[in-house]
Amino acid sequence: MNWTEILNFSRGPLLHVAMIIFIAGLSYRLVRVLLLGWERDKAKNKGSKFWGAIVNYLKGLVVLPFIPWVRRTFRHNELTFIAGGLFHLSLFVILAFGTAHIMVWKSLCGFSWKGLPTPILAFFSATGIISMVILLLNRLTQPVLKLLTRFPVWINWLVVFLPMITGFIMARHLWFKYEVIFSLHLISVSLLLIWIPFGRISHFLFYFFSKTIHGAQAGKRAVTP
Amino acid sequence: MKEKTIYEHLREKGVSRRDFLKLCGTIAGMMGLEFVAPVKAPGKSLSPSPEEIVAQALKTRPKVPIIWLEFQDCAGCSEAISRSSSPLLSNLVLNDIAIEYHETLMAASGFQAERAKEECLKKYYGKYVLVVEGSPTLAEDGIYCTVAGKSNLDLLKEAASGAAAVIATGNCACFGGIPAAHPNPTRAVGVADLIQDKPVINIPGCPAIPEVTTGTILHFLIMGQLPKTDQLKRPLPFYGNTVHDHCLRRPFYEAGKFAGSFDDEGAKKGYCLYQLGCKGPTTYNACAGLKWERGLSYPVQSGHPCLGCSEPHFWDGGGFYQGQSAPTIRLDKGSTATLVGAGVAVGAGLAGVNALKKSRAKKELKKQQASEARAETENKKEG
Repeated sequence: MNWTEILNFSRGPLLHVAMIIFIAGLSYRLVRVLLLGWERDKAKNKGSKFWGAIVNYLKGLVVLPFIPWVRRTFRHNELTFIAGGLFHLSLFVILAFGTAHIMVWKSLCGFSWKGLPTPILAFFSATGIISMVILLLNRLTQPVLKLLTRFPVWINWLVVFLPMITGFIMARHLWFKYEVIFSLHLISVSLLLIWIPFGRISHFLFYFFSKTIHGAQAGKRAVTP
Repeated sequence: MKEKTIYEHLREKGVSRRDFLKLCGTIAGMMGLEFVAPVKAPGKSLSPSPEEIVAQALKTRPKVPIIWLEFQDCAGCSEAISRSSSPLLSNLVLNDIAIEYHETLMAASGFQAERAKEECLKKYYGKYVLVVEGSPTLAEDGIYCTVAGKSNLDLLKEAASGAAAVIATGNCACFGGIPAAHPNPTRAVGVADLIQDKPVINIPGCPAIPEVTTGTILHFLIMGQLPKTDQLKRPLPFYGNTVHDHCLRRPFYEAGKFAGSFDDEGAKKGYCLYQLGCKGPTTYNACAGLKWERGLSYPVQSGHPCLGCSEPHFWDGGGFYQGQSAPTIRLDKGSTATLVGAGVAVGAGLAGVNALKKSRAKKELKKQQASEARAETENKKEG
């Protein structure tokens, strides 16, 4: 089997199966969480649930990231906060505005948008990769974190890191032949897609789920910050 | 009688010594022969220059007869070679090296042509180069492509048995090409899949670049062997780099400037065609270097993305105008809905089973608590 065949396989059947597992698996997880049910809240509404959810999103995504020092979590562990924040931001920028990724979205949704210039993307992908390495070192050196870290957490790190590093190498045309690194990138992406429904990376979906519920509850009780 | 050398042939045809040396230089360049600047070390003689190697070979070697067969093809590769950008080179290959049998280009037809081929196969047994254009077909013993009542499989085996080397030209002969596109009804395959006992080289492309075909034939003539190849049996001097590597739009790729459609501002400014589906990054071919029509242009230069025609299965690679990063098997709305439905059904089913178990356990617990309470009151009564 040569690399051209491996690339054809990873662009075709492998990615297809990975997407099938990803979609079916996440739907399953979402339904299981929804059907766990929760106690009926019999308290009367004191405020707007909708407004509570909106405020919660604005607070979490727009306001607090720019004034992180007001948070206790930041004051207790600045490094994790900054590296984690930069990692998430970089990942979002690359996935949403990288030209190659925009082509993927176009094939899935049928429309596309303008990407960012390559140097900016290079900056963000490097930032994301460095943040991931810092987070790993932090986890390896902090005794409390080490105690808390179970095996799946290392897998989480690996399956996210592999697509990032292979993508970076591919976009810069470093060291490998294009079809080799392209195949490795696609294989690692497929691994990530297959792993997401089974691991904690599914928080990319459940984050919005919990943010909405908590915001709505705060809104109902009129305790929106 | 001693066979005439190519040089003698050329001299007879009136080619001057000057033209001959120019031809040698052209051939050396075409073959990608490298020349290290002569720095004479004491006690060592200088190695001959590429032109000298070519000239020596043409002066001493006899013609290499070529038998050119066509199977499932469009004759585009023959068309391309007959319109080659270097008339001197194609003339050399067509007349002097020389093509002894070519179904499309030869004047003879019918029984005459068949007899000519049989004579060639006998006369040059073990010496000729077999060039195959078009894909052989396996389905039902090759009956989907027959010439003079013989299946293409028989024709190929017969011709290959006496060949010194086999050259597959065009994507069809190399990898099955368009006839092998899904669902491949004739079970078209590449020549190398069938011929295992002879040296086979692939010159893929749609069509193959004529200079690459002639260059490979000349390499065999001059060096006495086929050039070094990559994993897909493609000659490295021509397929060592991707179209993307030497692309004139590459700086725009690096800068992230892309044409979004064929007539937008980016396309007019000559930006990179990656977003329009260019397969240049994974396509190994000499288009960007040799170009077509005497070095005039090649697809990417003239504003069209590379189709990846020198790669296997380029016809089934997910659409010519689809970005290369996009998956080749698409999830449509229907199958996505089915998948979501399946996930939801399994999730809901398991949740239902859990709820059932929970309610049963609750009932059991209640029963147990009731019987315990009863037992306790009875104990009290007895007490």
